[in-house]
Amino acid sequence: MSQKPSKGIPSPRDSRRDFLKQSAVLTGIALTPKAAITAAENQWDEKLADAIEKIPLNIEINGIQKSLSVEPRVTLLDLLREQLNLTGTKKGCDYGQCGACTVHVNGKRVLSCLTLAVMHDGEKVTTIEGLAKGDELHPMQEAFIKHDGFQCGYCTSGQIMSAVACIREGHAGSETEIREFMSGNLCRCGAYPNIVDAIVEVKKQGKNI
Amino acid sequence: MENFFDKVAGEPIDRVDGRMKVTGKAKYAAEYELPDMAYAVLVSSSIAKGTIRRVDAKAALRAPGVLAVISHENSIKVPAHADNEHPTEPPTGGQPFRAFYNNKVYFNGQPVAVVVADTYERARHAAMLVQVEYDKEKHTTSFEENIGSARIPSQVKKNPKSSLADYDRGEVDGYKKAPVVVEAEYLLPNEMHNPMELQAITAHWTADDKLTVYDKVQGTKPTQAAFAKEWKLPVQNVKVIAEFVGGAFGNGLHQWPHETAAIIAAKMVKRPVKLMLTREQMFYMVGYRPRTWQKVAIGANPDGKIVGIRHEAIGQTSSYEDFTESVLQQTRMMYTSPNVSTRYRLLPLDVSTPIWMRGPGEATGAFALESAMDELAFKLNIDPIQLRLINHTDVDPDNGLPWSTKYLKECIQLGAEKIGWSNRSMKPGGRRSGEWLVGYGMGVGCFGAHRGAAAVRARLMANGTLQFQSAVTDIGPGTGTAMVQIASGQIGISPDKITFQLGNSDFPQAPNQGGSATVATVGSAVVAACNVLKEKLLGMAASAEKRFTDVKMEDVLFSSGQISLKNSPSVGVAYTDILKKENLPEIDIIQDSKPGTEGSKYSKYSFSVHFAEVHVHALTGRVKVNKVVSCADAGTIVNKKTAGNQIIGGVAGGIGMALQEDAVMDHRFGRYITKDFAEYHIPVHADVPHVDVIFIDKPDYIIDPMGTKGLGEIAIIGVAPAIANAIFNASGKRIRELPITVDKLV
Amino acid sequence: MIQFQYTRATQPKAAVDAVTKEKNSMFIAGGTNLVDLMKRGITVPQRLVDINRLPLKDIKKEGSSLRIGALALNSQVAENKMVLQSHPLLAQALNAGASAQIRNMATVGGNMLQRTRCPYFYDTTMPCNKRQPGTGCGALEGYNRMHAIFGFSDRCIAVHPSDMSVALMALDASVLVTGPSGDRRIPFADFHRLPGDRPDIDTTLRPGELITAVDVPDSPFTKNVHYLKVRDRASYAFALVSVAAALDIKKNRIEGARLAMGGVAHKPWRLAEAEKFLVGKPVSEATFTEAANIAMQGAKAFKHNAFKLRLAPNSIVQALKTAAKLV
Repeated sequence: MSQKPSKGIPSPRDSRRDFLKQSAVLTGIALTPKAAITAAENQWDEKLADAIEKIPLNIEINGIQKSLSVEPRVTLLDLLREQLNLTGTKKGCDYGQCGACTVHVNGKRVLSCLTLAVMHDGEKVTTIEGLAKGDELHPMQEAFIKHDGFQCGYCTSGQIMSAVACIREGHAGSETEIREFMSGNLCRCGAYPNIVDAIVEVKKQGKNI
Repeated sequence: MENFFDKVAGEPIDRVDGRMKVTGKAKYAAEYELPDMAYAVLVSSSIAKGTIRRVDAKAALRAPGVLAVISHENSIKVPAHADNEHPTEPPTGGQPFRAFYNNKVYFNGQPVAVVVADTYERARHAAMLVQVEYDKEKHTTSFEENIGSARIPSQVKKNPKSSLADYDRGEVDGYKKAPVVVEAEYLLPNEMHNPMELQAITAHWTADDKLTVYDKVQGTKPTQAAFAKEWKLPVQNVKVIAEFVGGAFGNGLHQWPHETAAIIAAKMVKRPVKLMLTREQMFYMVGYRPRTWQKVAIGANPDGKIVGIRHEAIGQTSSYEDFTESVLQQTRMMYTSPNVSTRYRLLPLDVSTPIWMRGPGEATGAFALESAMDELAFKLNIDPIQLRLINHTDVDPDNGLPWSTKYLKECIQLGAEKIGWSNRSMKPGGRRSGEWLVGYGMGVGCFGAHRGAAAVRARLMANGTLQFQSAVTDIGPGTGTAMVQIASGQIGISPDKITFQLGNSDFPQAPNQGGSATVATVGSAVVAACNVLKEKLLGMAASAEKRFTDVKMEDVLFSSGQISLKNSPSVGVAYTDILKKENLPEIDIIQDSKPGTEGSKYSKYSFSVHFAEVHVHALTGRVKVNKVVSCADAGTIVNKKTAGNQIIGGVAGGIGMALQEDAVMDHRFGRYITKDFAEYHIPVHADVPHVDVIFIDKPDYIIDPMGTKGLGEIAIIGVAPAIANAIFNASGKRIRELPITVDKLV
Repeated sequence: MIQFQYTRATQPKAAVDAVTKEKNSMFIAGGTNLVDLMKRGITVPQRLVDINRLPLKDIKKEGSSLRIGALALNSQVAENKMVLQSHPLLAQALNAGASAQIRNMATVGGNMLQRTRCPYFYDTTMPCNKRQPGTGCGALEGYNRMHAIFGFSDRCIAVHPSDMSVALMALDASVLVTGPSGDRRIPFADFHRLPGDRPDIDTTLRPGELITAVDVPDSPFTKNVHYLKVRDRASYAFALVSVAAALDIKKNRIEGARLAMGGVAHKPWRLAEAEKFLVGKPVSEATFTEAANIAMQGAKAFKHNAFKLRLAPNSIVQALKTAAKLV
């Protein structure tokens, strides 16, 4: 940047000690968690950033083996969306409360927002982008279109990944069972009954999905 | 009038963008990959009112990868912020919040700084290191403690003829003369739109004076205009892209602080900046359905005939904007009461501004009105359906105009049959199924049928395909699909040969997607464009087939991609042949459309009736909505599949309203307590039963040439009272404060 | 989330060593609560030791107990044939918790260690003695609808959110741990703490200790059991009140009873007096109602959770009725 460093744009000459000397006069409680401040005071960040910023990660995503280097704090969801441009997996809450980020890891449905990418070294991840075989849609994708199992489409990837797993797990025995075992996937548009219809149909087809 | 629409209307074709959505290829606002993109994370205030003394960004600035920490202390100034006018086109009265404009804190969770870094993780971490010092002032956030400060909306002060003004028909408080009176207070909490997609924007200054944003909004053109005004740029220098919108339900109808924050950040770091709110931030700065207190009094004769209604409402708003909504309209027009008085007030608090949420106003008002009707029916020992029929009106009692169309009685009759209303016990608690008490309830909804002005670009290609472009967005109802069907029916080209591109401000003018008006508005432009294309085709047809010389429009049919003569259908010419003969690669037109004056002679509404069968556990108070039947009088139904889905979705939203949704604030801090999906509950799969959807499907050509009336709002309006009334019928417990949770029933 | 070190351990001893060696180190298994807490800056470990590769996943018979490895996933346990046969109450409780996806990630050990869902704990701008000792309890005078009616202190009125733990409490399980000073067994009733004046400490685990397994002793409670969870929606919500009920019924007479509640205290709440009362009594709603009244002795409500004083006993009755197949 050509402009003069102004307030708010970092200058390398700033001393961390300035920060350490600050005794924050806060009315109310500090927004910054104490532990995070402690971390900054101890200069963990800088030390760690230098020493161990990224670690190697070998992971198979949609059948493609990837050798990556990632920070341990990167969630599987953020790795997919922000580093691999696999944006089909959605972020709806980031706290494991909505299911939009559902992917399969080693064949099991999990929430990619609540797991660190580095925890999946050597594992196989399938996202919505990896469900169809080329141009041929997965039967669940077909059924979602046919039964209009979505509106805005934002929860859809998670619903579909979860729905496939729901059948594979043997939890699609009845509409009631489907509703219970799909309850980890929120849909604010409220397409739930259509999603259930789609799952029932795919289950009835009896195909090996 | 010939109904060109018969053929394709109602066909439950699959969504034209379905494949994009089920394969994860649909791109939402935070999913565009731009070169050198940076990430922004907001720092939110931890106080509800006061001033920022200091923003200490030192620690954040030294964190790895941080590009900037921006607050009012160092932010570039948004050109229009300093003006003594609204920087944006506010859909609300007052002064919309200006991000980083000054050191004032108006509400808790207000953005006070934005941290920009080269990765998301680094931005998120650095945001936690920003220390903000405040001079705190005493805040006022409690609705109940301050209800005495409610006042007339500023819009009414400016315009005493506003529909929000005090209203009296017949005698003021005429209900008091009636032999039977019910009177009760109802409370609706703050409800959050909570679309599944987190509010997000990717802001990119492609030149010093050219801005492109990928934004989660309900209108690309209104957003373009707002940002152009805010940054004092020519409108064409701002481009807004919203190809896919992950739900909105109203919260994309206003510009919010995070958008300005991202645009400022992108300008300051000279890189594209992506900003996605956290779910918690969604509770604080992108609007909500406001907490509303209501009081309804209805007076009636013993035979059920209503003598008078009084309906008062007080809604919450922020200290800096007067957000109003139409809570009381339904009370003025739904029942044939000679005396009606309504009063609407606002209560400004130190909170952020509410915004329209699905079924805005009417969903709130209907909860009170339709609950009160149920209370009256019980008091009179009249079947609630009968009570509605007794007070049915064939003209709008508010203005004396005839309805453009109204099939409410048919809705009631069809829905009642389907739900099995005859199983309902007149006496609460009169039916059981094992340990569950079984109850039935109903609620009526209505929403004004609106049509605005819009334009579309239509290109009929030499290969026979037809391409449309419109700036309109699709937040989920299936706009593109409906438009393709309308065009198909109008011009006789099969839907698979028609595309409808949307969500880009470079395309022709369209208003916000909202108020259930998109199909009527944009669909009319599609029809108009098709008509122009048809005229052009007919005008050229003779060159390809002599027998079309001097043939008039009423003598031909447009179908299966060709024009044919009505009286000798074997004589036809394909559109492709016409273009070929004329040596035209395409016919490219931009056509606009706006409603005529005919509509002003009528009162225009969509209507719905919702029926619920609800089970209440006798011992633990748990509630299960076992079955819902919704019947809609929404004019022509363009696509029964997507329209049915919209109704189902409205019912799911209504279940949330009735039973779950409650954004609770701790007023000691002015902060929300229930601010994520673990605490603020919305319905899950297991909460939503099968929903039977019935459409009257009779066209209303007063509104628009397709005969549509609008659907999105009436899908939810009336659902909550239907459930509340069913709970009363099951348990004998009348709950007037939503949501109806276990603690209120056990 | 700060940057942290990350290492993987393959043997329990190495994991314990790694966590003991460096300050601010933590184990990570499923991560379903820890990653959440780290994102919010509530838990800020300097180092994570990934224990997912430790050989602690087996579910096997061990003498007169079922030994469930600490890393067995919640979904694996819920579907395990031995669990379904000998401890159906545990399977029911597990399936009542969270969502299918989270049960595929969360481990048995991690489930026990999940932190409270008290909103004041999660909002770092609000007071919370559990998160930041000495700042006060936000819930005490605040919005305390979800909070405790038993065993709270003036420092903390939060409740423990685990469903699985309520069943394990009822089933007299014990927790096997290994740590810097060797292995030990902790009776389940002693595993979670009451808040007292140290609400920041949830369990009796010592620094560096790693849960290796849970032992669930054989019992006659294989048929007449029920886990009732009352919550604000039909699924995927934390309990307002939950009841783990297990009865040993012979000829319409109760030979043995186990009762524990969730959502009412800082730890899974065992209802020992009510259990004692039930033994020897005939199966009837009246018996259950009286047991529920006994169970509720000492309960005290706050401003927003008084309904639990009605909901809890009613739920006990309902759970017992369902367990006894009276409904």
